[in-house]
Amino acid sequence: MTAGGTGTGTGTGSDRAAPAAAPAVAPRSGPAAPGRWTPARTATALLLPGLVALLLTYAMPLVWVARMAFNEPLPGGAIRQTLTLGTFTDVLGDAHYWRVIWRTVELGTLVTVFTLLLSYPLALFLARTTSRWRGLLVALAVTPLLISSVARTFGWMAILGSQGVVNKTLMSVGLIDTPLQLANNMTGVVIASTEIYMPFAILVMISGFGRLDPELERAAASLGAGRLAVLRRVVLPLTLPGVLTAGLLVFVLSLSGYVTPRLIGGGRVFVLATEIYDEAITALNWPVAAVLSMLLLVLFGLVVVVYTRLQRLVERRVLGEGGTAS
Amino acid sequence: MTDPGIAAREGHLVLDGLVKTYPGRHGAAVRGVSLSVERGSMLAVLGPSGCGKSTTLRMVAGLVAPSAGRVLVDGRDVTDTPAHRRDMGVVFQSYALFPHLDVAGNVSFGLEMRKVPRAERARRVTQALELVRLDHLAGRRVARLSGGQQQRVALARALVVRPTVLLLDEPLSNLDAQLRTTMREEIRRIQRETGITTVFVTHDQHEALSMADSVAVMHEGRLEQLGSPQEVYERPAGHFVAEFVGRANLLPGTVARVAGNEAEVEVPGLGTVTATGHAPAPGDRGSVMVRPHRISLDAEAPAGSGAARGTVLSAGYTGETVAYRVRVGADGPELDAEHPSGAHRPHAPGTEVEISWDGAARLVPAPTPAPETAKPGDGAT
Repeated sequence: MTAGGTGTGTGTGSDRAAPAAAPAVAPRSGPAAPGRWTPARTATALLLPGLVALLLTYAMPLVWVARMAFNEPLPGGAIRQTLTLGTFTDVLGDAHYWRVIWRTVELGTLVTVFTLLLSYPLALFLARTTSRWRGLLVALAVTPLLISSVARTFGWMAILGSQGVVNKTLMSVGLIDTPLQLANNMTGVVIASTEIYMPFAILVMISGFGRLDPELERAAASLGAGRLAVLRRVVLPLTLPGVLTAGLLVFVLSLSGYVTPRLIGGGRVFVLATEIYDEAITALNWPVAAVLSMLLLVLFGLVVVVYTRLQRLVERRVLGEGGTAS
Repeated sequence: MTDPGIAAREGHLVLDGLVKTYPGRHGAAVRGVSLSVERGSMLAVLGPSGCGKSTTLRMVAGLVAPSAGRVLVDGRDVTDTPAHRRDMGVVFQSYALFPHLDVAGNVSFGLEMRKVPRAERARRVTQALELVRLDHLAGRRVARLSGGQQQRVALARALVVRPTVLLLDEPLSNLDAQLRTTMREEIRRIQRETGITTVFVTHDQHEALSMADSVAVMHEGRLEQLGSPQEVYERPAGHFVAEFVGRANLLPGTVARVAGNEAEVEVPGLGTVTATGHAPAPGDRGSVMVRPHRISLDAEAPAGSGAARGTVLSAGYTGETVAYRVRVGADGPELDAEHPSGAHRPHAPGTEVEISWDGAARLVPAPTPAPETAKPGDGAT
């Protein structure tokens, strides 16, 4: 606005000086004077605080961790500043770490699958309902986010433990004699993580279901599609992008999840996040922790690549963007 | 298929006392609609928005469950048959094309649901697309089609399954004026070629009159009149139909004398007017209807040669016509008149003219107070 104002001012000025001469736009179309404020400069100025914050809190620590991965760990927690690939080869040559990586991927996959399966019907209902309580219902579905995941994990320990609600109930009705092993193992971690990530998945899905139009379902019905066919042929394809995005979020969250595997796993479920903590805090082996962090980062990268590929495929096949038309 | 047998006379599609009430809403959306559509004919359901015409169509399609009443096809009650087993083709106002499928995929959908073998499916999809003249766009994504093309895809998709009845909900309302005229003829052509019993809903009287074999005029959930386009326009059953289907001058009066269908009606401020009506009787109250384009205004004619003497109040030039507002006498009723432009120089406001009309005026019965509708404000929303 400032630039425009100045330009017009200059224009009318020159008009008054020489009415028959250059058109009024001429002074404006000239090269921007040094120091003049342009929209591009405004954009840069607005971006700057965020960029600085990201640099300080994200990029620099990351570089620091990356640098740490190339140091040599010495016994007793000491670190020798050097540039070696030794820690990488040690970690990648160790079957234990491969088991940890595999566990992490396994946990992420299981949690993602169960979270999506359980969240999809809820999200579908919330996205489609015309009830005037819709807002309240959506809020209810995401209220668990108001409680810290640490508190919710403790809650799950009380439910899943050998003296927990589930086992006590099952034993009191005589369905089982000995408590089921629901905590301190993978099963418990998957159950608790699934519940913890469901609100995220539901939120992402609801916002991703924008293409769902009840009229399309009616059109399908009028063409002879029963409920199942409508779901399979119309609703599912149109909601797939939202499901995919929710899947990415849950997978990434559970890959880096620490609290739930640590507490419910009871020290018996080893994933990358718990392993990094143990190496850094307990074993004081910072280079190994840094290498594991780098591996987690590589895992994230792979996930994002796969997600992008899938999303593009879905967009093209399912949403009819791009396509064969000229 | 179009054999006019006994079934044709009974009506291929019959709506019997359809009612739709919504919980929490005062008054019914549809208050008892009964009508019959002949096999192979086209019915227009005409009414202002909120009159219940779309709800009625959706009840026929099985997309909305009626609160009362029945829908019969070929004499068979389909009221409780779910939409996907009703075998009715529906073209939605928004077209509701599947965005994740291409043109051929959309048209093929209904055939796939009916488990039509692949080879036959391909053949019929091509046929249907040829019918709507879109066979060259079979592989195109629907998002890349123009409004008119989307409309044709929706039509092909509904027709390809050879439904017993075709239902169209405001099929032309999303198209621009020029395309609307083209599609109007196109839909009529396709309907004639396929001979399919068709019901379409519209708020546009031109659409209804020009396309349909019969017109059902709806108002506030009720069927006001069912008849041929000529009947509905020339012999409206009531004030609402007279004013909604075309413009009308309605002059309230009382029947003085009757000779057959001809009635002499006393109209205050205008005198005695001859009008034809449906079984008029002396003492009946009603309105004399004269369509504006039937009224001629003559500034040169001597006083007393026409029906009345009046003064031009205003003249509006619209290009094709000139629309006048005339007052009869000094303080008589006001009339609308409409003449083709260019025939002669428009009368200026203030001009004294002799008012006359060709043919007999029509006597429209006075509205009988309906017991259910009474409350003010409980109208179309």
